[in-house]
Amino acid sequence: MKLIKDKVAKLSFVALLVTVTAAMFYAPTASAHGEKSQAAFMRMRTIHWFDLNWSKDTVPVNDTMTISGKFHVFAGWPETVDKPEISFLNIGIPGPVFIRQGSWIGGQLVPRSVTLELGETYEFKVLLKARRPGDWHVHTMMNVKGGGPIIGPGKWVTVTGTMGSFVNPVTTLLGDTINLETYNLSNTYFWHAFWYALGLAWLAYWARKPIFVPRHIAVEAGKADSLITAADKKVALGFAVGTIAVVAFGMSSTNAAYPVTTPLQAGLLRGMKPIELPAKTVNVKVEDATYRVPGRAMQMTLTITNNGDSSVRLGEFNTAGVRFLDPKVHTDETGYPDDLLAEEGLTVSDNSPIAPGTSRTVQVTASDAAWEVYRLADLIYDPDSRFAGLLFFFDEAGNRQMVMVDAPLIPSFI
Amino acid sequence: MSASQSAVRSRAEAVKVSRTFDWLILFTLFFVVLGGYHIHYMLTGGDWDFWTDWKDRRLWVTVAPIVSITFPAAVQAVLWWRYRLPFGAVVCILGLLLGEWINRYMNFWGWTYFPVNFCFPSNLMPGAIVLDVVLMLTNSMTITAVIGGMAYGLLFYPGNWPIMAPLHVPVEYNGMMMTLADLQGYHYVRTGTPEYIRMVEKGTLRTFGKDVAPVSAFFSAFVSILIYFLWHFFGKWFGGTSFTQSS
Repeated sequence: MKLIKDKVAKLSFVALLVTVTAAMFYAPTASAHGEKSQAAFMRMRTIHWFDLNWSKDTVPVNDTMTISGKFHVFAGWPETVDKPEISFLNIGIPGPVFIRQGSWIGGQLVPRSVTLELGETYEFKVLLKARRPGDWHVHTMMNVKGGGPIIGPGKWVTVTGTMGSFVNPVTTLLGDTINLETYNLSNTYFWHAFWYALGLAWLAYWARKPIFVPRHIAVEAGKADSLITAADKKVALGFAVGTIAVVAFGMSSTNAAYPVTTPLQAGLLRGMKPIELPAKTVNVKVEDATYRVPGRAMQMTLTITNNGDSSVRLGEFNTAGVRFLDPKVHTDETGYPDDLLAEEGLTVSDNSPIAPGTSRTVQVTASDAAWEVYRLADLIYDPDSRFAGLLFFFDEAGNRQMVMVDAPLIPSFI
Repeated sequence: MSASQSAVRSRAEAVKVSRTFDWLILFTLFFVVLGGYHIHYMLTGGDWDFWTDWKDRRLWVTVAPIVSITFPAAVQAVLWWRYRLPFGAVVCILGLLLGEWINRYMNFWGWTYFPVNFCFPSNLMPGAIVLDVVLMLTNSMTITAVIGGMAYGLLFYPGNWPIMAPLHVPVEYNGMMMTLADLQGYHYVRTGTPEYIRMVEKGTLRTFGKDVAPVSAFFSAFVSILIYFLWHFFGKWFGGTSFTQSS
């Protein structure tokens, strides 16, 4: 019996080793950015991205594409997240698979951090140049100091070609055109190799003689001073003087070779120009809002007042980048990512045109698997159980009006 | 052979065993220091050492020597007072740089494709050599701390300038002036390292015009002296045998 037990134990151990070893050969690429794991209230109540456009689905290496659109900085920014007073328009990609050739907010280049105003809407554009082949999930992203990265919608983009052919030419103010991909590389390798070799030489000088045991015995016997000879001191002095001389020579020759250098540039960019939206003529009051957990649906009771001169209909509800559309009013023709688009996800109890000067209370349901897939349902576990989003109304002429909604959300488990 | 008999039977054999022992200890020391020092330096120097757009004339110059003189001071204390070996600082920097280069090449470039000319480590070797030589010539912890620590801080910036200067050439980019290092930071997207995290060019040192690097280096050198003392004592304590039971 014991023999069988031992054999089973032994074989189990071997099987475990084989499994662990085999697992090492399976290492799939991690391509997404944890966007679904970010707290739902962060995505619903901070930056609202809309009108997004990824200019290409497939880009060859060295070719460019843009991501453009608008973002609304939510006026009811959660207290648990620092305000976007120091923010950076980033891009959510797995490392530099693209390089960011330019990024603009309101037409201004934003290579540095910016201050954003609550309640304002901004236009943005990011110009990317393809660098590494593969299929990449390319997200919009706003980093907020004290708030962390606030990730926006992402779309899969394929980069074709070979990375070896990637070049990044830049012309300096001195008129030289360099390839930033490899610039200064040989100089870096040279100096590091030189100093490493000098360090190794110093170590080798001491390691050529017995190192530990005899020296320890001598030190313990009170003969430590005899271990450093006059020749050692001369060699050491040579190393020190040589080091200082090389540093001085390196400094002066570098200054001669690069007479014009400037410090790193840093600072906050203020005064980003927001979009001047037309005066709002549609008012929306959220009477109540519930999220039905079993049905993956959010239901709102809205009182809509049309103060404009044209009748309007509700066509879209956008929250955390997920778009719920009423196809009778509005359809998407921008190639928005499928997983974030609920083309028939918006149901309004009475979506006939609301005439100018009238009010109507309607039941609005936004339902789609995206609530679950994008873990927006987890909102009920967040510290601030409120929802927020953008409602888009369309008038008879097809003009669009954006209205922000923000209200408490009560979960329903039955 | 009884337990009281020696394992070696001749002087030649003793020398051979001693040398084998030397290489074993040196090899172990090198990689233990590499691991410990590398983690320490990544946690304390971190981004200042990772990216060229963090290597500025104020904070990088100040921080890097202060946080990197630690292990050299401690290992010097062990190797010098126990063995009269003056390569404690150099062996630390050799280990650190090897670890850093493996990390930068295999991880930063090999896994995440940041170009090496954007994420190479700082050069700490000139200061380490001088630190070892000062300890050897003076046989004094105090003088090594004051002169060697000072030299360690002061040599850092000029020792790195030949590598960094080409990246401080200015460029006009869409109507803004940047250095090539700034442009590297902008071009090569770091999702988790937004621009505002950069701690560069901050501070109140504004009365020296453009020549702030020497002032920062002197400040760094002064603090390096203090840190040297502290870590030299750590090394002495760590290298002692008072906490082992005597047989």
